[in-house]
This record gives sequence, C-alpha cells and structure tokens, in this order.
Amino acid sequence: MCDSKELLVGYLYDELDAVERGTFETHIGNCAECHAEVAALRATRAQLTQWAPPDPDFAFTIVRRPTAPQPAPRFRISPVWGLAAAALLVMALGAAIAHPEVRYDNGSVVFSTGWNRQAPVQTTATAQTEAEWKAQVEGLNRRLRELESSAVSRQPAGASPVNADSDVLRQVRDLLSASEARQQRALSKVTADATQQRRADFAVINQSLTRLQNASDAEVRQYRDSLLRLGRVAYQQNSSQR
Amino acid sequence: MPSTDEELVARSQGGDLDSFNQLVLRWERPIYALAYRVIGREEDARDVAQETFLRAFRALKGFKGQAKFSSWLYRIALNLCRDWMRRERRTPVAQAPEGVDIIELAGEATPSESIDDRVARHQIGRVVGKAMASLPEEQRNAIILKEYHGLTFQEIAELLDCPLSTVKTRLYQGLSVLRKQLQDAGVKSTFGG
Repeated sequence: MCDSKELLVGYLYDELDAVERGTFETHIGNCAECHAEVAALRATRAQLTQWAPPDPDFAFTIVRRPTAPQPAPRFRISPVWGLAAAALLVMALGAAIAHPEVRYDNGSVVFSTGWNRQAPVQTTATAQTEAEWKAQVEGLNRRLRELESSAVSRQPAGASPVNADSDVLRQVRDLLSASEARQQRALSKVTADATQQRRADFAVINQSLTRLQNASDAEVRQYRDSLLRLGRVAYQQNSSQR
Repeated sequence: MPSTDEELVARSQGGDLDSFNQLVLRWERPIYALAYRVIGREEDARDVAQETFLRAFRALKGFKGQAKFSSWLYRIALNLCRDWMRRERRTPVAQAPEGVDIIELAGEATPSESIDDRVARHQIGRVVGKAMASLPEEQRNAIILKEYHGLTFQEIAELLDCPLSTVKTRLYQGLSVLRKQLQDAGVKSTFGG
C-alpha cells in the first residue's frame, strides 16, 4: 500500500471511489509515514494557492470588421459591347444622313434626310404607272366612241351587225393586251429599282461596320503600344534607381 | 439563467458573434492564468490568451463537441505556450516582483486579511512561482491543470495525451519536488505543516 502513489494522489485529490477511499483511510490510520506524507502534500497544495497571476487588463473581443467599400470600377469598354454600341451609333448616324434631298418648296430651300422618306425611284415609278393607266383608260374611251360613230355612219342597209361587233371586240382585246404589257414592264422596272436601292443600302451599312472595326482595332493597337511604352519607361526608371 | 458553453458554442457556430464574445468573457481569465503559470510572463501570457481565442474562433466550425469547450481551449493554449517556449528557447520564468509595495498591498487587502498576511502571501507566491518554473514541463502542466483549473485525472490525461497513471505519477513527483523546495525556502504553511 505504501508503494501505491496513485492511491495516495487519488486520495489527496479526492478522486477515489468509496471502496478505495475506505481502504486507504484504514491504511494511513495505521501507517505514520503515509499519514505524514499526505499531510505534507496537503500543506504544499495550500501553499500553491498563494501563487496568483497579475490581474490582467482584458479588452479582447471578436468583432466583425465592416466590409470595406468596393472600389468603383474603372471605366472600361468591353470589346463586344463597345463594338455593338458603336455599330448602333454608326447606323443611327447613317439613317440620319441617308438620302439627303434639297428642294425648293413654297419659296424656301428645304434640306431633308432619312430612311422614312420614300425612295425617289419608287415614287417616280408609281407616278408614271398612274399616269399611264389614266392615259390608257382615256384612250380606250376615246377609241370606243370613234368606233361607235363610224359604225353607225358606215353601216349600209341590210349589212350584218355581227361583223362590226367582232371588229370592235378584236380592237378592244388588242388595246387591253398592249396595256397589260406596258404594266408588266413598269412593274419590272419598279422591282428592279427597289432591289438596286436595297443593295445600295446594305453596301452603306457594311462600309460603316468595316470602318468601325478598323477604327476599334487601331485603338486597341494604340492602347497596347502606350502600355508597352509606359512599361519600358517604368523599367528603365527602376533600373536607373538601382 | 446563463447559457451553457455548449449553447454558446452552437450559437457561435451559427454566426452569432455575441455568443462567442460571451465565451471569451467567461474563459479569458482562466486561459490567461494558464498561460501565465506555464510561461511566466504577463505580456506574453496575454498574447497567448488572445491568440487562443482567435484560433478557436477560426476553427470553431470544426469543433464537434467531442471534448468540453474549455478542454479544447486549454489544448490550444498549451500548444501555443509550447510554441512560445520553443521559439524563445527558454524555460518559464517566475516573474513575481522582487520588492513588495506595502501601500499597494494595503489597498488590496480585504478586511479579513491583515497587511502582514498579505505580504506573507505575496512572498509565498513568489517562491511558489520560482519552484514551479523549475519543474519539468510535463509535471508543471499536470499540476497547473489540477491545482488551478480543477480538471480531473481523466481530463488531464486526454489533454496531455498520456495514460491516467502517468498523470498521477507526474502529479506525485511534481508535488514532492515542490514540497521540498518550499521547505528549503523556509515557507511555512498554516495548513498541516
């Protein structure tokens, strides 16, 4: 029992179960050496309580730092969006200055531009078509009146009116065929003019986009060259400072 | 009714800073006292205590409650103390003041304690500090955790990663050395000796 220091320490710190405690208390009641050692170590423990650390001044807390404001993004043109915006601008400018027209109207000079105005070719073609239609209708009426009057004056007694009517119908069909042919020619011309105008418009847009693309590439090259020059200057300055 | 450590830890893990600061307030003095008794320097002990809570805060998400929160803090603090001693390549120092300011002690004295008793207590404390600093680290840590923080043998064994019997042996050997040194220093105790 005297060699079991674990029991002694357990007893000293009161961490023995009831059976162990009873057994050890019986032992130290009969063993003066173990009894004295327990008393001495209890005294040492009491002396240890006199050792206290200096009273600290705590001011320690965990705080959440406020989120630093994000720096404002520098102005930067995204290549894709920049090109798209520039293309729209060019198209708007193109629309604004397309088809310039100077005309004298009501005693003053009028300058007008834009896509909304009808193309001159189309306007002219339409006007010509209407005039032709009117002229043709007027001619037909006049021709019919002439035929009616001549038939009445030349018709002999007993002559067959069937021959006269067939002549008139043939002449009318000829006139209608000629009119239809002229209309077809006019319509083909209008279509060709409109197609030509559309091609010209697309050519203008393509030219504008090409100029824009060339200008953007040139700006990028210029910007890159500037950066390279700045980098070279900074490197030279650093080298000279060393 | 104050919240338990487990409740405060759970709320802290959910992002509640106030709960963690309550844990800091509850445990900063014991952690500081542990660090001071291990390394013996007030300034460094305060730094260790602060670093202990910073590390605990950063690692709180990974704390699964497999041990008591206080034991977890003690382990962090002891590791930091060990790092400090290796970095400084020194043994702990007993930083008790050589001289005793009677006026200051008189201000600290309680009505039940005379100035003479107060002076004697400071002198004993200084001797104890020196004796503790002379102990091997394993014995010193075991005595500190048992005497000043009230951990059980089992908790100390888990904290120091050693068998239960080793803890008891270290305690017995350390107390025996201290007993002799205090006797040699002429320290008288009013308790059984």
